[in-house]
Amino acid sequence: MCPLFSLEEPHIELRLATFIMAVLLSSNLCLILLVSALDWLPTPASAFLIDWDRTTSSATLGPHFTDCISRDQETFRCWWSPGSLQNLSSPGALRVFYLKKDSPTSAWKECPEYIHENRECFFDANHTSVWIPYCVQLRGQNVTYFNEDDCFTVENIVRPDPPVSLNWTLLNISPSGLNYDVLVSWKPPPSADVGVGWMRIEYEIQYRERNATNWEALEKQPHTQQTIYGLQIGKEYEVHIRSRMQAFVKFGEFSDSIFIEVTEIPSKDYTVPLTLVLIFGVVGVLTVIMLIVISQQQRIMMILLPPVPAPKIKGIDSELLKKGKLEELNFILNGGGVDGLPAYATDFYQEEPWVEFIEVDEEDAEGGDKEDNYNSDTQRLLGLPHRNIEGFSAISHPDDDSGRASCYDTDLPEHDTQRLMASLLPGQPEDNETCLDAPASETGEKPLIQTQIGGPQTWVNTDLYAQVSNVMPSGGVVLSPGQQPKIQENTSGSERETQKGGKQNEDVEGIKEQKRNEPQFQLFVVVPEGGGYTAENNTQQTSTPPSTSVPGAGYQTIQPQPMETKPAATGDANESPYILPEPSQPQLFTPVADYTVVQELDTHRSLLLNPPPSQSPSLCQPQHPLKVPMPVGYVTPDLLGNLTP
Amino acid sequence: ALCSRLSSMRAASSCTNGQTGCHFLSLANLFDRVIQHSARMHGISNDLHSEFELYFLPSKNQIGRVSRNCHTSTILTPNGKENAQRIAREELTEVILKLLVAWREPLWHFHQNMAQHREFNNFSSNKSLEMSEMVHELRRGVQKVVEKMQMLGVINSSLGNLGSPEALLASDRAEWRLMNDYDLLYCFRRDSNKIQNYLKILKCRIIPEHGC
Repeated sequence: MCPLFSLEEPHIELRLATFIMAVLLSSNLCLILLVSALDWLPTPASAFLIDWDRTTSSATLGPHFTDCISRDQETFRCWWSPGSLQNLSSPGALRVFYLKKDSPTSAWKECPEYIHENRECFFDANHTSVWIPYCVQLRGQNVTYFNEDDCFTVENIVRPDPPVSLNWTLLNISPSGLNYDVLVSWKPPPSADVGVGWMRIEYEIQYRERNATNWEALEKQPHTQQTIYGLQIGKEYEVHIRSRMQAFVKFGEFSDSIFIEVTEIPSKDYTVPLTLVLIFGVVGVLTVIMLIVISQQQRIMMILLPPVPAPKIKGIDSELLKKGKLEELNFILNGGGVDGLPAYATDFYQEEPWVEFIEVDEEDAEGGDKEDNYNSDTQRLLGLPHRNIEGFSAISHPDDDSGRASCYDTDLPEHDTQRLMASLLPGQPEDNETCLDAPASETGEKPLIQTQIGGPQTWVNTDLYAQVSNVMPSGGVVLSPGQQPKIQENTSGSERETQKGGKQNEDVEGIKEQKRNEPQFQLFVVVPEGGGYTAENNTQQTSTPPSTSVPGAGYQTIQPQPMETKPAATGDANESPYILPEPSQPQLFTPVADYTVVQELDTHRSLLLNPPPSQSPSLCQPQHPLKVPMPVGYVTPDLLGNLTP
Repeated sequence: ALCSRLSSMRAASSCTNGQTGCHFLSLANLFDRVIQHSARMHGISNDLHSEFELYFLPSKNQIGRVSRNCHTSTILTPNGKENAQRIAREELTEVILKLLVAWREPLWHFHQNMAQHREFNNFSSNKSLEMSEMVHELRRGVQKVVEKMQMLGVINSSLGNLGSPEALLASDRAEWRLMNDYDLLYCFRRDSNKIQNYLKILKCRIIPEHGC
């Protein structure tokens, strides 16, 4: 392959000239290369610069140069050998000539200084020029032994002397006590003039175990110290170093070796206690975790496996829904056997606090759009023949859709639900104030199943659900005015089912006496925002235990707008189902409660609902002898127990 | 390395006028950067030269075969240690700059050539590009050093600006176009070694205390 020219064309003549010259020269070069490739020219001497030429046996070689070396880039020496022609070995038989190509007219000159015993020719500083090609040749009597390969430039034949003052210091020992690091340092060779900057040297350290055969070489670097990592305690190491010019190829000789050894140092055994401590610590932590898990099993199960919401019917104790208690349930629901309600699915009731009650829409199984259904529901509800307040008012708070999502299809047949709802109609307690709208559900958070019952509306003007617009300090609830004077508004929307069940129970008991005097009822006052159930008011806990709560304290009045009187829509629930009560109308227009709080059950298993205080307790059913303050609107399961005669 | 060197050089010039020590330190810094740069440049040229020898002219020592002198042979350079030390600082600096200026174009064309020929692998082609860029950067670096030195009075300001047209014209001579690739690489290898050497000597003459 001939080297290619890069031709540029500044000017045409120049172009031509250069082109021609280039062609000529390249052809010349190509020829030479070809010839050399063919090895056509005799090579009386072998070159010392090319290492791989040494494979030729020296036996057949004539006189040749063995090596030319410079140590400091200021002087250099060349050695020759007579080769196989021993008659030339006597000193003076061969003479060294050199050519310094620093000008086109340079000529061959004889060696400036001979050292015959070494067969060495020494070129001192005056005769040494760097960056200028030298060629050397041997001449005998009439013969010139010349190899074209014996040409060089001084910087290429530099092999610096090895560094001096090599020593080592211990850096550190590994924690395991098995390995250590050593810092080796040295000084640059004195012959190399590093201080002036004339030579830039890089160093290579090699080390090996004492009896090993292979040396480990570290990375070359120009500094005068280096760290050897990972030597083993107890072993003896041998270290030596050599140097070379940066960015050149030829290394100098190795220095003398030094020996490194570090004997074992008794090391404290820190590891065993540490391990023990670790193990114990881990065991302890595990134990604590186990304890926590075991003690909080319920909660963890709740977190990990949240229960699937299922429809619940507010006010019905799940216990009752289980097998064996259908009669009781029926009894309760039917107000003593008027009609037997079919047994509900036993699965309805669960005790998850967060479960909202499920609206069971007869026509539309999903609890979905309450507003839409409300009209018909109300109508249906109002159409119920039964006025007994029985069962419970399942008031579902429309706040959020939880519970509805589970789209539980109640199994209630239509007219059962009607009856159910009928029983929801508010009953008037005997007293104004004793119609406690105790929070219906003390069963803790029990979702209600709001059953929307369709059917003819018998109670034309009765809204089954009434909105409590305000809570009187005395404990009375101001419900939204409805058509029915007697119907007291219940606060619907209570998930206030979330009354503590058990707590209520006891309270209920305790309240028996005070029932009359206790205006407490826990209502959830929902302010109608214009339709539907205003969801904002979710209150969790409307109930404080009736015995203890301050009147009205347990309620959250979202936005009492007592004066806002919405026509109770004469039973039309197109407008908001919540009708604000008008306390100032004590007259016949008792606000029709959309939701009625069941205060207690009377003897006839009717639900006593809390009438508005100013109204005649016409709707108030005779107080149940039980005098059990009922949770608002709902009968909690444990209360049911009380209700059972 | 290029960018860090240049940025450090800019940073170094932010020394206020009053502090000589700071100035000399920054000058030493500048020199170090420049010397590092030149060392790297020489390393690359060495690599390229060896590769070229290996692939194209494998068997023989080619020194004897250099058919002509390098185009920079006309630049008088000190060829020995004593010469380099005896020469005036300004002359030495000028030599360095002349060399750098002379090589800018040839290397660029060499790279262009290499980029087109597929004989050289990409690695070598990248090196040739790097080499040509380094020459340019190094020249700018050395000029900054010279400015600094002139500012400090280390050298007198007789040194002309070698970015001047005549210097550029000198490099535009067609001599280098006659060289083949091998010769070019050989010559540049030699010259980059010279540059590296001269820079180091210059630095140790001017600021001997830091790292000489």
